Amino acid sequence: MTLLLEQLLNGLQYGVMLFLMAAGLTLVFGIMGLINLAHGSLYMVGAYAAAWVQQRTGSFLAGLAAGLSAAAVLGMALEAAILRRLYGRDHLDQVLATFGIILFSNEAVAILFGRQPMMAGPPPWLAGAVEIVPGVPYPVYRLAIIVVGMAVAAGLYGLIAHTRIGMLVRAGATHREMVGALGVRIGLLFTAVFGLGALLAGLAGALTGPLLSVQVGMGERILITTFVVIVIGGLGSVRGALAGAMLVGMVDTLTRAFLPGALREVMAASDADALGAGLSSMAVFILMAAVLLWRPRGLFPAHG
Amino acid sequence: MTKLLELRGLCKRFGGLVATDALDLVIAPGEIHALIGPNGAGKTTVIGQVAGELRPDAGSIHLAGADITRLSIPARVRAGLTRSFQVTSLLPQSSALENVAIVEQLRQGHSFRFWRDAGGDPARTGPARAMLERVGLAARADIPAEDLAHGEQRQLELAMALATQPRLLLLDEPMAGLGPTESAAMTALLAGLKGQVAMLLVEHDMDAVFALADRVTVLLHGRAIACDTPASIRANPAVRDAYLGEA
Amino acid sequence: MADTKRQAMVLGVCLALMVALPAIAAWTARPDFVTLGSQIAVLAIAAAGLDLLIGRTGLPSFGHAAWFGLGGYAVGIMAVHAGDGSLPGWVTQAWFAWPAAVLVAALAALVIGALCLRTGGVSFIMITLAFAQMFYFLFVALSAYGGDDGLGMRRRNAVPGIGPRDDVAFYYVCLVALVGVLFLLRRIARSRFGLVLDGIRQNERRMMAIGLAPYRYKLAAFVISAAIAGLAGALHVNLFRFASPDLLHWTMSGELMVMVVLGGIGTVVGPVFGAAAMVLLHNFLAQWTEHWMIVMGPILVGVVLLARAGIWGAIGGRR
Repeated sequence: MTLLLEQLLNGLQYGVMLFLMAAGLTLVFGIMGLINLAHGSLYMVGAYAAAWVQQRTGSFLAGLAAGLSAAAVLGMALEAAILRRLYGRDHLDQVLATFGIILFSNEAVAILFGRQPMMAGPPPWLAGAVEIVPGVPYPVYRLAIIVVGMAVAAGLYGLIAHTRIGMLVRAGATHREMVGALGVRIGLLFTAVFGLGALLAGLAGALTGPLLSVQVGMGERILITTFVVIVIGGLGSVRGALAGAMLVGMVDTLTRAFLPGALREVMAASDADALGAGLSSMAVFILMAAVLLWRPRGLFPAHG
Repeated sequence: MTKLLELRGLCKRFGGLVATDALDLVIAPGEIHALIGPNGAGKTTVIGQVAGELRPDAGSIHLAGADITRLSIPARVRAGLTRSFQVTSLLPQSSALENVAIVEQLRQGHSFRFWRDAGGDPARTGPARAMLERVGLAARADIPAEDLAHGEQRQLELAMALATQPRLLLLDEPMAGLGPTESAAMTALLAGLKGQVAMLLVEHDMDAVFALADRVTVLLHGRAIACDTPASIRANPAVRDAYLGEA
Repeated sequence: MADTKRQAMVLGVCLALMVALPAIAAWTARPDFVTLGSQIAVLAIAAAGLDLLIGRTGLPSFGHAAWFGLGGYAVGIMAVHAGDGSLPGWVTQAWFAWPAAVLVAALAALVIGALCLRTGGVSFIMITLAFAQMFYFLFVALSAYGGDDGLGMRRRNAVPGIGPRDDVAFYYVCLVALVGVLFLLRRIARSRFGLVLDGIRQNERRMMAIGLAPYRYKLAAFVISAAIAGLAGALHVNLFRFASPDLLHWTMSGELMVMVVLGGIGTVVGPVFGAAAMVLLHNFLAQWTEHWMIVMGPILVGVVLLARAGIWGAIGGRR
């Protein structure tokens, strides 16, 4: 029972991280029509910048700020230098160019920081565990992530549903050409949206760094899961990103936690663990297949 | 009169906007039927629904008595209903001949043939060349479609639609972007098809409409306000007020 | 228009070089040239199959490595079971094993493709990527077949008249397979089927408006391209006598795509140049610095933004 509660919270925390990644990616896709594989690299940059600054200054918050800014700045620089030329082009071209960016950034990070994982930990004031329910300790840091993530989700909702910028974002997601025709400074809107997405990715990276290891290639692992989230949720839809992220976060975490144990009932321990790990890794893809069979455009597709 | 195309109570809404409002329309075999109306009247939406790109919210579409409302676009083409596009939509890198030849190829059946060289196959290129002759493009057969002049591209547009051997053609502004000489040529071309192929013709060029149409439907805010012969339409006071204005 | 005379000449020279490669290797006392040549031929087969999909049909698939790996593992797994007696020995004969590998890849692609193609548009890239990664995780989990450590293969599939350790003979087998596949792809490109695929690439909306139901044709292209990748995978595992989940990793899919674009997308022969370029870069640059990959990124971005026609296009004088 306590294990279940703990895993549910883990699933929630993973879901919240996935949402931060997916929201940016799906907005960029919905509004600019750009598939951006390098989104994972922005996550990695956020994680590295945060870890590095935290090690140098001892301050977690300084690290967090560094992670956010590094990702946002790098993101906007990338947009201005390369990605801007890809709007309106073949998706194949976008995939290849952003794939090239991944190759470059992975090697650049390896040159700068080496291939060994960089360790970073939660700050002392967020360390330790707290009893959320009597007898069930849960890491404070993970709770903090959940809170921050939910706050961002709420903020994003407020931004999109209740502000002028948000209105442009919603309109742009459904009718790109119309927004341009209305005389909105479209270039500026695009850069701002991209910057926001990069910021969210950087935040996700900076927050997750202390939990997982910060190393080259971490971006791609979460990128593919993010794609699954977006496909399940529906392209261009932030609401879909949230729904997809929660679903994927829960399914992934719960299968990883409970499937090997269930398999041990019927086979040898080491086989059960390996098979369980593998099947859990496949679980979210099977989920995606099931959703696509039922709703080919995802759960909450943006129209247009 | 037998009905080749019948629209019954066709309705289409986009959010709060009513684009098509309980539209009834009948076209007889071989009839040229023009659909006119001011910008925003909903003409393109009607074409979209008849062609199969838009799903009507209510009402039905019948081709020679069969209900085709739910039929896919390719299935409608096989049933004899083909559209041409207002904004030219060709295979840009293929030659004019190839553009028509592939239509001919599709008309002949399935294309799961992997071995024989198709480019030189007279079963495809023969009829394609004949069609290019018919629309006046024979001399430009080997030019890539994207390199053709705008007027020639509109001719190719029509050739491709005709190559499907339709019973009913949906022509979405075939004169779009054509100068006076080219328009006259296109009008003559279409006139030559009178009686052989029925047409639902959306057009702004009034000369062409009155030269070609057997009957005209006037659309305003998604509903038909008049449906009659061209002469009667021209004299109709409601139509004059709403649309023809000073014309 | 491309300078076809120059292209034909270059092609002739390259073919001569490839036929003479073992002799050159013997003369320069570099037997590793032969292995390199085999590797190029095998990857070129996979890339050429991918080009049918992304170059000719315009369907950008990011999951091609799945079929490559499935074909390879099919061969490896059959060898394991022939070895312990659970399958008859003749499954390791090339005449059975290689078509079997092709069939496995094709069937898997039929199922996955049927699902992926329902969605269409940009989701297609992401979904193919996701499903391919799913297969990667599957093979990592199958500890019975090596899991993460990979699966060794004791001897190559038996080809009549060729010794199991005869690297030169195996090289010629790969070369013949490559030429055969290219010939097949060329015929397909010019057939009615190929013209339909090209029409879908240029303007799918128009193709539907003239009576084409595109789904079946796209699925057929998907399956054919996967079948070719399956053959390449089988040959690859034979070449190195080793299969590992890395064959199915999404970065492998990415590398295959790079080969296609670098070599010249939509041309039958382009991918061969792309494969050669990638393998040679891997080998020679890697000797200088472990960070050679850093060059690959900007090259890729440069090709996409500036020189879309690739190597084959450049030979023909186009950008």
